[in-house]
Parts: sequence; C-alpha cells; structure tokens
Amino acid sequence: MSRLSLGWTLPAYSVLLYAFLYLPIAVIVLFAFDAKAIPGLPIDTFTTDWFAVSLADTRLVGSLFTSIRLALLAAVLSTALAMPAAMVLAWRPVRMKSLVLCLVLGPVVLPQLVLGLGLIVLFRAAPDLIGSPAIVLAHTTMTSSYATLMLYSRFLGFRRSYIEAAMNLGADEFVTFREVVLPLVAPSLIAVLLLAFTDAFGEFVVAWFLAGFTETLPIAIWTSLRQVISPKIYALSALVILVTLFVSVSAQIWILGQSRRECES
Amino acid sequence: MSAARDIARRRSRLRAALPAAGLLPLVLWQIVFFVVPVALILGLSVWRSQSYRLIPAFTFDNYIAIFARPAIWRALLLSVETAAFVTVACAVLAYPVAYFIAKKAGRWRGLLLVAVIAPFWISIVMRVAAWRLLLGERGVINQMAIALGLTEAPMSFLLYSPVSTAIGLIYAYLPLYVLPLYAAISNIHDNWIDAAMDLNASPTRTFFEVILPLSAPGLVVGAVFCFVFGLGEFVTPALLGGGKQLMFSQVIQDEFQRRLDWPSGAAMAVVLLVLVFASLALSMKWIRRASGETGL
Repeated sequence: MSRLSLGWTLPAYSVLLYAFLYLPIAVIVLFAFDAKAIPGLPIDTFTTDWFAVSLADTRLVGSLFTSIRLALLAAVLSTALAMPAAMVLAWRPVRMKSLVLCLVLGPVVLPQLVLGLGLIVLFRAAPDLIGSPAIVLAHTTMTSSYATLMLYSRFLGFRRSYIEAAMNLGADEFVTFREVVLPLVAPSLIAVLLLAFTDAFGEFVVAWFLAGFTETLPIAIWTSLRQVISPKIYALSALVILVTLFVSVSAQIWILGQSRRECES
Repeated sequence: MSAARDIARRRSRLRAALPAAGLLPLVLWQIVFFVVPVALILGLSVWRSQSYRLIPAFTFDNYIAIFARPAIWRALLLSVETAAFVTVACAVLAYPVAYFIAKKAGRWRGLLLVAVIAPFWISIVMRVAAWRLLLGERGVINQMAIALGLTEAPMSFLLYSPVSTAIGLIYAYLPLYVLPLYAAISNIHDNWIDAAMDLNASPTRTFFEVILPLSAPGLVVGAVFCFVFGLGEFVTPALLGGGKQLMFSQVIQDEFQRRLDWPSGAAMAVVLLVLVFASLALSMKWIRRASGETGL
C-alpha cells in the first residue's frame, strides 16, 4: 500500500462524483412518480399512474418495441461480424493488420453526425432501405467496431495452449472451435451481445437521420422534448434506464469475473 | 494414397483461407457502410449545388464560401472552446476518482469501475432529458438553491446556454475519461511512489514529479477521446444549448437538413473530420512518447 494518503478527502470526493453521475438518473426515476402534470419540486403526492399511462400509449410502446427489435438485429449482426474477425486478428498473422484495425476503429472516432450524413447520401442510392433496414445497417456498423475491439482484447488474453492441445490431440479447426473455443468465449460473446444491444438501443443521431417514418424510442423522446414533456415519458424512461443499468452492469461484471478467473487460474 | 493426399491438400488450402474468410465480412461491411459514406461526404464537398440540385464538379468554392461566413467561424470557435473546456474539466474531475479506484478501493475496484461506466450506456437522449429537469428555471437545482437561500431569482443561465451544454458534455464523457486514467494509474507501482517518499519528497512533489508524469498516457488518451467526441456531439447542444449560440455540429445538421445545401454541409463536415483526425494524429505522437518513457 502506498503511503501517499489524503485521508478522507479522496473517498469523500469519490462519493460526490458518484452522486453527480447518478443524480440525473435519480431525478428521472423520482419524477416518474410525481402526480403533477408538469413535473417539478416539491413533490406533494406520489403516484404510479404514469407508468400505466405510458404503457397504455400505443405509439410510445410501439417505438419501444421498434427499438428493441432493431437493436436485437444490430447486436446479433455485429457480433456475428465481429467474432470471426476478432479471432483472426488476435490469433493469426494478418497482413496490413494496422490498416484493418484502423478500419475497425474508424467508426468509433468518426463523429456520429458525419457518419449519419454520409449514410443519408449513401442511401439515396437505395431509398427503399430508409427506415428500419437503414437503421439496423448503420447501428451494426457502429456496434461491430466496439464488439470487435472488445472481443479482440479478450481473445488476446486467451490461452493459446488450449487450442494447441486440442489440435495436437487431432481435432481440426472446426472441432476445436466447437468444443474448445466456443464454450470458453461464450460468456464474453453474450456480454458483447448485451453491450451492442444497449448501444444500438440508445443511439439517436444516426437513427434519426435514417428513420424516415420509423420511430425508435430515442426518436420518440427527442420529439416529445420539443414540447412540454408529459411525465409518462419519464415513467417509461425510468423503466428503460433501470433495465439498461441492469443489463450493462451485469454484462460488465460478467466480463470482469471472467478475466479475474483467468488471472487466478 | 492420392485421395488422402488430396484431402490433406484441400484441408490445408482451407486452413489458409480461414483467416481471410473470418476477416472479409467485417472488412467489406466497414468499407460499404463506413469508408464509402465518408468518401461520399468528401466527394460532395467539392460538388456544386444549384437550386437544391447537385452538380458534379471539382471546386473548392464550398470551402471558400463557408469560411467567408462569420457564423461558421463563431460556431467553430464555440465548439472548439467547449470541447477544450469539457476535456480539461473531465480530466480534473476524473483524476481523483480514477486514483481512488486504482489505488485505494481494494477489492471494490471492479465494482466501482463498472459503476462509473454504467450511466454511459443509458441513451444520450434520456440523459439529456434528465439534465433539462435539473437545470431549468423551475428545475431541481434552481429550486434547491432558492430553498437554501443561495439565490433569490432562479439562475436562468443554467439552461439553454453554452453552460448547460458544457455540463451535459462533462456528464456524458466523464466515464470515458476515468477508464484510461484508471488503466494508467494502476500501472504505477506502489514502490515507485514509496521510493519517492523515502527520498523525502513531499506528497505534493511526489504527485507532480512521479505520479502525474507516469499517468500521462491515460491523461492523453482520455483527453483525445473527450475532445474528439465533444467536437462532434450533436444531441447535447441541440437539446440543452437553446439555439441562440449554435455549435458547429448544429450548423452542419442545419445546412444539410433545413437549408438542404449538401455540398456546403459536406464541406463543413470535412472541416470537422480534419479537426478530429488532426487531434488524433497529434496525440498519437504523444501517446507513443508517453508510453515509451514509462516503458509500458
């Protein structure tokens, strides 16, 4: 342990910063229970009515289901693209590896605005795809980058000796993949799927550019933010936020546990 | 015999083809949906538009025209200033927490790290909606301040101003800054710090001469991502900024979608891209130098 200690200031500051990070979340959840039509302090009466109201709003719930459907598709597609690529990048000598990595990293650093506008121009060549297909294609592009990078770093730490042992015992590539690699990477695959889903589910800018008449939940919330916001938006947001936190936290703890077990073994 | 050799040969050819087969789908996908759109933007920026129609050309008129507009310069300056401010603020705010998690949190470090990143996964639109509730004239912060007697009239500068954009952006990118800082600080061995203290360096001197230089890689990586994302961010300024002082991203979107002048919008997008890649290229040198010095 280092002797450089600041006593209680460091923990106290950290508590404050965590409060800052979770304040907006707490406020949304709090106002989901506010009985007033225009939310604000002080809250006199608490109600759970807004949850019922928001779940009865077919347009809002429809946009929620659109988002879930499109994000599922994007998550599966991007993981399917990312997994073989990450395996090759991590375990095989690849010519022009840095070029490939640049191609993968590109969408991460490219401003979403620019990608969205470029895709608008691209989809002028295929206007029929505007709407759900274009959103899925765009989100897959964005999430497959993150997915490849995450899987790549996981695979780099993967014990090659397992694969070599299987191959030495006479298993070919496909058997080794099915019997050794897949069971070992399954947890990180699921974690990456979950994170890609969360990312695609919440993305707004690019989806908004390509949506046409399709309405995802972030687009519906954006539209409602242009007017006076009904508390039902907060109620639905609160539900979605709690689910998002649960999904992303469990996915990350899963990854964490996985790498810790590998360190110990 | 020859049949067996045939199978073996086919198998080895298959084995040689596997890496390409694994990489190809992703590479093709990224070319079609990432490289081509960027190339289209680059191409469009040298075209001309006449009464909403695109005319193929090779001209730099769009660039000359946008830089002749003072509003563009104002927006560009505001974006760079805001992104720079947000980057510095994030660095200052994130450093102590990253240090705490890396050095003092013991077995809680994993959980604390996850807890920092978790809000990052919530849809940006919802996070911004929450900040509206907090910052508005009748928002939570103003009403608390009035109740506590800190101010008499609500602070109206909190919402719909560059201040609120900056607050929203700091909130959005703080988790992103903690991650690389945490990685850099946990790479600093405790006995290096102890050695400095043993040699009678004061805690302040130990921090500035040992800990801070050794965490430089994390500081630089975090700063680049913060700055680059802050430059191009659209949702936060659009919903919190109020629309009086536009950021560069808003001007680009406006040019594309409301004024429908794609070539000049594309030229602005290229300017943004150049800024982004210039900051990346500049920091690459720094990241290498920083990691070279620490021997990581």
